[in-house]
Formats: sequence, C-alpha cells, structure tokens
Amino acid sequence: MYSTYLIWLLLIPLILSLLAFATRWLGKATRRVVEILHLVCVTLVLVLSLVVVQGVLVQGVVVALGNWLHVDSLGAIFVLIVGVVGFLVGLYSISYIRNDMETGEFDNAKMSLYYGLFSLFLFTMLLVVTANNIIMMWVAVEATTLGSAFLVGIYGKRSSLEAAWKYIVICTVGIGFGLYGTILVYADAVNVLQEPRLAALWTEIVKNAQALDPTLMKMAFVFVLIGFGTKAGLFPMHGWLPDAYTEAPSPVTAMLSAVLLNCSLLVIFRFATIVNGCIGPAFTQTLFLVFGTLSLGAGVFFMFMQRDIKRLLAYSSMENAGLIILAFGIGGPAGIAAGLLQLLNQSLVKALMFCTSGNILIKYRSWNLDKVRGMLQIAPVTSLLLICGMLALVGAPPFNIFISKLLIISAGLQVGYVWLMILCLLLLMVVFTAFFRVLGSAVFGDHPEGIAKGDVNILALAPLAILLVIILVLGIYIPPQLITLLNGATGVAMTGDPASQVAGASFWQNSPALPTGLTQAKAFFAPLANLLPWK
Amino acid sequence: MFTVSINEVNSLCGLLIITSLLVIETKKARWSAIFYSLQSLVLVLIFLSLAVLMQANQLYLWAASAFVTKAVLVPLILYRALSRVEEADMPKNAMSPVAAILIAAASVAVSFFVVDQIQIAAVAPFKPALAISIAHFFFGVLCILTQRNIYKQILGVCLMENGAHLTLALLAYNAPELVEVGVATDALFAVLLMVILGGQIYRTLHTLDSSDLTTLKG
Repeated sequence: MYSTYLIWLLLIPLILSLLAFATRWLGKATRRVVEILHLVCVTLVLVLSLVVVQGVLVQGVVVALGNWLHVDSLGAIFVLIVGVVGFLVGLYSISYIRNDMETGEFDNAKMSLYYGLFSLFLFTMLLVVTANNIIMMWVAVEATTLGSAFLVGIYGKRSSLEAAWKYIVICTVGIGFGLYGTILVYADAVNVLQEPRLAALWTEIVKNAQALDPTLMKMAFVFVLIGFGTKAGLFPMHGWLPDAYTEAPSPVTAMLSAVLLNCSLLVIFRFATIVNGCIGPAFTQTLFLVFGTLSLGAGVFFMFMQRDIKRLLAYSSMENAGLIILAFGIGGPAGIAAGLLQLLNQSLVKALMFCTSGNILIKYRSWNLDKVRGMLQIAPVTSLLLICGMLALVGAPPFNIFISKLLIISAGLQVGYVWLMILCLLLLMVVFTAFFRVLGSAVFGDHPEGIAKGDVNILALAPLAILLVIILVLGIYIPPQLITLLNGATGVAMTGDPASQVAGASFWQNSPALPTGLTQAKAFFAPLANLLPWK
Repeated sequence: MFTVSINEVNSLCGLLIITSLLVIETKKARWSAIFYSLQSLVLVLIFLSLAVLMQANQLYLWAASAFVTKAVLVPLILYRALSRVEEADMPKNAMSPVAAILIAAASVAVSFFVVDQIQIAAVAPFKPALAISIAHFFFGVLCILTQRNIYKQILGVCLMENGAHLTLALLAYNAPELVEVGVATDALFAVLLMVILGGQIYRTLHTLDSSDLTTLKG
C-alpha cells in the first residue's frame, strides 16, 4: 500500500508541473488556475510524504518499482523535509509571486513558468531522496540543477542571469565529478556482485561493501565529495552559492537552502556508508572534518563581511552545511544523530529566514543594511520573525538549533576533539556577532523616509508563523516518532542496514552524549517550559 | 563478420583528444559545433567497436542514443545559437593552441597515472581508452575554467560529458538501459538550458564574455 503512495508522491508534482506550464495559454484564467494547481501540488506532496514517513515508521522501509525507489529512516527524514518545507514555502510563494505580479516583475507566462518549475524542482528533489539506484541518484541531482537554474535567473536581470549562469556551470562541472565517483562504485560493485542490475542498487552495494576495492572506494569518495559537495555549497566549491541564493526569488532560495542542500548531503552520506563498510569510517571522517571545518570557517568569515541580509543568510547556509558535515566527521552515533538533527533544524529555520527576507524585500525593495532600517516600526510581525529566526540560527534557547548545536559540541568533546570544538564555539560566537549587528541596524534603527508603515499580508506571514511554531516546539519537545526516525537514520547512516531501524537499537539512547546533551538542554530552559500553558 | 581490435578502440579514443582541440581552437564559432558533431561521431564509432569487442548489445543502443543526441541534436542546437551571434561579439580564445595542446597532454598524463591505480579486471585491456576518457573530462573542465566565451564554456561542458559518457561505456555499459537514457537526457537538457541562458545573457547584457559577468561579488 505504501509503495503506491510512494509512486504517487513522485508522480503528482511531475504531472502538476506539466499542467502548470500549460496554463500560460489560458489567458485571464491563468493566475487562478495555476495557483490552484500549485496549492494542490504542495498539499498533496505534504500529505503523501507524511504517509510515506508513516509507512517507514510502521514497516521500516518503503520500496517501489523493483527496489529502484527505497525510503528507509534516513531517506524518510529528507522526505519529511521536502514535504513540510515544500508545503509551507509553496504556500508563501503565492503571496510573494502575487506581489511580483503587482510590481510588474512577473506576467502570466512567467508565473506559469515559475509554478511549473517549482513543482518540477520538488519532483527532482523527491527523486534524489527516494532513489536507490546510485546512477539514477546522480541523474536526479543533475536534474535538480536543471530544474532550478531557470528559477534562479527567472527575473532576467543582469545580476540574476549572471547568478544563474554561475550556478548551472559550476554545478554541472561539480556534478560531473560526482558521476565519476558513482561510476567507479558501480563498476567495482559489478565486479563483486556479478549482477549488473543489483550492482546499481545502494542497498545491495552496502550489503557487499566489505568485498569492494579499498583504493577504488577512496578515489570514488573523493570524487563524490567534490561533486555533490559542490551542490551542497561546501568550501571551496561554493562559488555559485551566495550569488544564486541572493538572486533567486526568496521562496526559491528557501528551497535551495532548506531542501536542495540537504538532498546533496544525503547523497554524500549514502556513499560514505558504502565506503565506511569497505574501509572503515576513518577515511570519510577525516575528509568530513577537513571540509566541515573549512566550510564552517569560510562561511563565518564571509558572513561577518556582509551588509546584505540575504547574502549573509546565504553564507550562513554554507556555515551550517559545514557544521553538519563536521558532525558526521565527529562520527559515532552521537555525532551522526546530532548532525541529522542539525540538518532538520536548520532546514526549518532557513526556510523561515529566507521567506522573511522576501517580506523585507516586499517592504524595502532591498536587502542592504544601509536601506533596511527601523523594521520594528514598519513591519512589526516580520521583525519578530526575523529576530526569532536569527536567535534560532545563532543557537539560542529555546529554539531547536540550540539542542542540535549543543549535541554536536557534546559529541565532539566526548570523542576528544577538544580544540576543534573550542574553535567551533569561537566561530559560532562570530556568527552571533554578525547576526546581532544586522538586528541592531535593521530592526531597531530609525526607519527611512518614504516606506509605508504596515506589515505584509497575512498569506505572507501565516506560513512563517507555522514554521516558527514548529521551530519552537522542536526546541522544547522532540516527538517520539521523530526520535524513532533519527535512531533509525543514524543506524542506516552507520551500517547501511535498514534492519537496525526496525530493531530499534536506539543509538539515540545508547549514546551517552545525547541524553547528556538533552538533559543539559532541558535543564537550561526548564523554567521557560514550565510557563507554557499546556505544560 | 566485422571484427575490431583493442588497439583500434584505443586509437579512436586518441582521436577524441584531437577533435577536442579543434572544437576549442577553431576561430569560426559555428565550426566548433561542426567539430563537436565530428567528435560525437567518433564517440559513436567507439561505442560500436566496444559493442563488438565486448559482445555488449546494450552498447548498440548507447551508440544510437549518442548519435541522435550528441552527433545531431546538440550540434544543431549549438549551430543555431551560434548563427545568431555576430562574429565580432565573440570574445577571443583565452587559450593559445600551444597552451591547449600542453593542457591536453598534461590531462592525459595525469589520467594515465590515475587509471594505473584502478584494478578492475574487465577493463584492464582498455586502460588507455579509460585514461583518455578521464583526460577528456578534465580537458573539458579546464576549457570551462579558462575560456571567457560562454559558448566555448558550453562546449567545454559538452567535451566533459563526452569524456564521462565514454567512461560510463567502459565501466558501466551493463547498467540498466533506463540509467543510460537518464544520463543522456540530462546531458541534452543541460546543453539546451545553457544555450537558452547564454542567449538571454547575450540579448540582455550584450556580451558573451564571462569576465563581464562581475556584478555579483563578495
């Protein structure tokens, strides 16, 4: 039963994207029809993704199409992110694009193109996170670039075309490296499995990882990390990221940062599991630590230099990708679980922040701190969202990222990376400074002349309010279903064995770092939690 | 019966590098598309030879799809796009012929070293071909990095893809057909989208020089 839902989860956005493209010929009815199609698409994707995640919770794995589609606990976390973030950002899109129609940035044809590409982009990302065939996984990642490149350059201005060009060229080159990594793993798997059809399946390769050639696997992983790391915006392959994130419409940036970045990381993690099964985790962990620290450091450095809010958030995505990779570099159940939680948390906060940046653009027509001032007087609700989002990003309690950052540092200290964790904390303090400089200037200063007071409309605020509620709730309470998924996902990432999730070996509970971190976190904000009316 | 030797396959692969140099170094932009088509025909011949040598029937399908997409469709798309561009607007070649030959030679040398580390029994006789396919990929990457002309950068992507396609044929020819269809479709769409974007840049910014794309910094 769940298999059918999994297939529909992929088919719905694909079919509706084609219908959305076709609406451009409907004349005056275009706007109404394409908005309804878009709403139907993101709602069905949300519902179906929740059903598939439920399927994973019930039966451990959901497979379809002869095992070509495979969702285990690890994949389920990403399906959940695509579904939830896709729905809320999709909802926000309606108000944002209506504003673009009013200002003349968009016409009917461009609106059809936007919604068609948005659904297509959802389809390609869902294909990445559900693919079990490693070469199809690559095809899907490349398709995400092709699906989103026009979204990045959709305004057709000098700067947006430049950003789209950099995005498509750098990512196509990067993904080329990823293809080499994929081919090397496949070729060696054929050698071992003697059955070409099975050799392309991640689940089969992982089972036979011990028999693979160690030199080839090391070489393949370097290619994979460079290739898919380019899509994730890891340093030094990040050249496209700040430009594409800044120039794309804000809902698209939210999807790029909150969903696509994670999809690329998932592919890297899947390959890391294969390589770890072959040669042990030391090799991949070393590379993760190096790339993680570099990306974190470079992201923080560039953040400190910015006077453009959206660009600052773009570099914050790079910093967060670095932190997640670093957590996987720390390794062990504690590091991996903490990394996965950080990945989920940062997705939600980044979706909130990039959409909030869209509201800032609607009011100020700029993201530059020289122009964006006195937001509290101009748009109080958007200001509140910005303040909460930035507090969440710096890892302040009671927001969700506080727990995951605490867990990462705790996991690092537990395995003896004392100096590295001190360096991380210092870098995170710089993030704190960079964000508070923005808050001080944008929110609390005097507002410039000629900007009408009054917040953006409710449709642009409601999805963000929902995101903020989820962020706050996850900072106080992690639902047991999510803990089960995180346990299972940690098991899959470490061993590749989907059974580890069904057996409920509970890495989460067996890891000393996690309960300790959670206890510390709970103790920190227990007084606040006690004030909650539903407590 | 039609027979092919391993040496003939390896020699055909050498032709790929020569045609790449022609694609990059030709002064008339539209000729780049024609030379690229020629190179793709060489690739099709290699696929056919490998199909005979390895008795891999799947490679006939690969050859057919490479002929349609790489030897016909992509060159046609590029030729039409390049026909709309004034020759005077074409940025000069950033790489001199000598530099291009040296870079190609260096790519081949590095690739031979890399391939030497690969221990897969099935491809042992094709190591030179494998090395050249990887070199071809890196030559494409270098072309993208060094060329200022955005159409030459697109051609760099095409060269890169031809290299990757040959590696795929040597190492993964027995992968399910749908996979090859997916890879070929991605490659075709990548070029198509880049050509559309390149055309938009030319119409909006009135330049084909990627070094003019400097609005976004920091």
